[in-house]
Amino acid sequence: MTIEQQDPPAVLIDQVSKWYGQVIGINDLSLAIDGGVTGILGPNGAGKSTLFKLMMGRIRPSQGSVRLFGVDPWKNTSPYRRVGYVSESEKLYEWMTALDFVTTLARLHGMTREEAIERSAHVLEFVGLTDVMHKELGKYSKGMRQRVKIAHALVHDPDLIILDEPLHGCDPLARTSIMSVIRELGEQGKTILVSSHILEEIERITEQIVILHNGRLLAIGNLHAIRGLLDKHPHRIMINCEDPRSLANLFVSEEPVFGVRFPREGQLEIQTNDLSAAHAILPSIVVSSNQKIKSIENPDDNLDSLLGYLIKEGS
Amino acid sequence: MDRKAGAVIELTIRQLRHRISTWVVLGVGVLLMALLLAFYIDSVRESFEPIDNDGDSEDNDGDGYPMGQERKWGTPDWNSDLYPGASEYIPESDIDWNDESRTKSGNKSWEGSAFFEASWVDDQYTGNWWDSHIDWNLNQEGMPELTDCSDWELEEIIEGIWSAACDLGDGDGDGMTTYYVSGKWRGEGTATVPEDFYLSWGYWTEEVYVEPEPPEMYINEDGIDCFEILMLGPDDRVDCPSETRISGSHGFDDDGDCWATNEGRGNDDNKNGIRCDVQWIASNGVVTRIEADELVDEDPDEQEYIGELGHRTFVIAVGKMAFIILLGLFIPLFLSLGLVRDETENGTLHLLLSKPIHRAEFIIYRLMGYLAVSGSYVVALSLVVGLISSILGPGDQLIRFSDIPVWIGIGAATALVLAAYGSMFNAMGLISPKYGVYLCIVFGIWEFMMGSFSIVNPNWTVASVSISHWALQMIDAIVLLAWPDTIQWAEMDRAFEINSGLSFFWQPPVHTLGTTSAAIALLNSLVVLLLVSVIWILIAKSVFSRREIM
Repeated sequence: MTIEQQDPPAVLIDQVSKWYGQVIGINDLSLAIDGGVTGILGPNGAGKSTLFKLMMGRIRPSQGSVRLFGVDPWKNTSPYRRVGYVSESEKLYEWMTALDFVTTLARLHGMTREEAIERSAHVLEFVGLTDVMHKELGKYSKGMRQRVKIAHALVHDPDLIILDEPLHGCDPLARTSIMSVIRELGEQGKTILVSSHILEEIERITEQIVILHNGRLLAIGNLHAIRGLLDKHPHRIMINCEDPRSLANLFVSEEPVFGVRFPREGQLEIQTNDLSAAHAILPSIVVSSNQKIKSIENPDDNLDSLLGYLIKEGS
Repeated sequence: MDRKAGAVIELTIRQLRHRISTWVVLGVGVLLMALLLAFYIDSVRESFEPIDNDGDSEDNDGDGYPMGQERKWGTPDWNSDLYPGASEYIPESDIDWNDESRTKSGNKSWEGSAFFEASWVDDQYTGNWWDSHIDWNLNQEGMPELTDCSDWELEEIIEGIWSAACDLGDGDGDGMTTYYVSGKWRGEGTATVPEDFYLSWGYWTEEVYVEPEPPEMYINEDGIDCFEILMLGPDDRVDCPSETRISGSHGFDDDGDCWATNEGRGNDDNKNGIRCDVQWIASNGVVTRIEADELVDEDPDEQEYIGELGHRTFVIAVGKMAFIILLGLFIPLFLSLGLVRDETENGTLHLLLSKPIHRAEFIIYRLMGYLAVSGSYVVALSLVVGLISSILGPGDQLIRFSDIPVWIGIGAATALVLAAYGSMFNAMGLISPKYGVYLCIVFGIWEFMMGSFSIVNPNWTVASVSISHWALQMIDAIVLLAWPDTIQWAEMDRAFEINSGLSFFWQPPVHTLGTTSAAIALLNSLVVLLLVSVIWILIAKSVFSRREIM
């Protein structure tokens, strides 16, 4: 998130508000993003899509200004030469093949037909759809459709890529492949915005996040730093194991742990004030217990609790 | 062309191709044309029934003589008693109520009231019941048997006897009986008319047998005549339309019915000072007006004219009704209303708008894609229909080459109409995505009505507030440019009541800016239609550019 003086940043949101009648979509948001992968986090209705629609010139800010590469996208479509957008909408031209679809949209960037076909085949390979690129989109699975959408957004080799909930509704396999695609794009040095309402998804892609809540900017910065704040507050760790009671004995004497519970058969709940400290001692205790651990979960380590904490702190 | 434009146009064409409604509406258009051509073929193959335009082959009063023959003889065609050669009553004189001399002798046909000293009465003298012919009621000896009124007072007789006679006896003993008669009768004797009464008399001419003429004689009996040189004898006549088109008094009353009806009508209706003629008015070798006196050239041979007239009427009617009004309205209604709107509704618009294309550009390219489909369709359809009908049409050539420009013009005018309606309906779909279709239907009804009115009366100003009016004007202008003598044919159709429909479906273009030039009318209409298209595109652009796409 560096703002370079000579070049305008890829995204510059300056005191933007957007309301739909009585409903507020974005509330006095200021943001500059340039370079790297940025996760836009927020629960449904937080304003993520509204923010993206503002960037894509689909809607007009009620107040403030939106600039992509220094240009107002509501008035001028020229920034879109450098922007790839994966909308949350699922609608595609079902009767087209993937190659056809991406080629058609590529030509809207002014490519010749030949260029467009070449580039489309290339990006479809990048998202791993080469085998099925001659199949009609109507026959595609959810994950394949998402990848086609990503392919179309990449076909003109954009500098800024905006992905609105790209993992939504995908099966685990598709998620993994889409995440690796996004990570790879980030490594290529592009500016990428990914929105999600699931913390874990974003965590696997990037550390740089923006958290929106009720249209407001709630937090911005490194995910782990933000998380660290949260870690100092009561947290639960759920451990599924063979003998929770003997394991509990090992934990209660440790400093970060202030309580244990047994909510279910074969399950141990550890209550802590310092999640990272608890996690630091956890491996050695587990090893010394000589038990078979089925799983370790952090039920409080999700967006809701993060939001809950941030909101409490803010007020 | 711009690559982006090409891409959007191609996308639009492919989208339209993937919609069933496109194929349905275009298929219905082909079916409509096939149907119209079938009608045309049907009417070409049947030779035309000769039509009795002036109705003078009819025998309206049922006396066995057609009206044309009765006209020549001067007998009415509404009275079966009066027919060519029929016995006719010739009135001679009368005794009025105040005449001094009140007697008259002779063998006459009498009518009125009188004391009649008869030497002979005709008991066969009868007629219609309302004519009050006297029934003499003859006995076996041939003597009338009537009411005896010999000892009645005069008053009694006068008041008591109406449409009848009574017997006063032979008062003076000269062997001749005196009767009081009031009505119609025939007889020889002396009539004495009472004071204040009236009697007239006359005689009936001999009946001559006149051969009734066949009704066919009065069908197509008065053809259209033209003169190569003005006002020469009948031998200089040629069939119209002649090569030389000169203004002046043409026409010849072949069947003589104009001359026969000397009084009142049928003389000089066109007020050119010449009785029973047809005034042709031409300028620059083009006949612009034909004014016929009544009953002159009024019953031409349809076969001679209706081939050409019917063919032109078919071309014009199909061009105006089927192409401009039906295809022109329905194709855009199905194909253009959702050009941009449907992308919003389908949720695929963001795919296109996330590309560096302005929304206004997008509207224009979409319309171009729609026009590429619909325009090439109507042009192709018009050429196919044109080719078929020009092969079927009258004339010596295999193909009527003079038709081809008209059909190209019809195709082009329809394509222009598609552009105008297309940009209008597209704008409506954008103005109100939900209710746009109703708006379009309301506009469509308006356009349909104004189009229909414009066919009947292109001069009606209100109708010019419609796209169809200007498109129809284009057809009128194109027809006149391709077939300059259409005015003459339409005038012939109108003036001589050939009833081909040409003068109904075609009238000279009106928007000529005071000239009578078809080219100016064409240009004028072209500019109006293009302007309308551009205005609607601008409206659509301004609506769409401001629209937030959720």
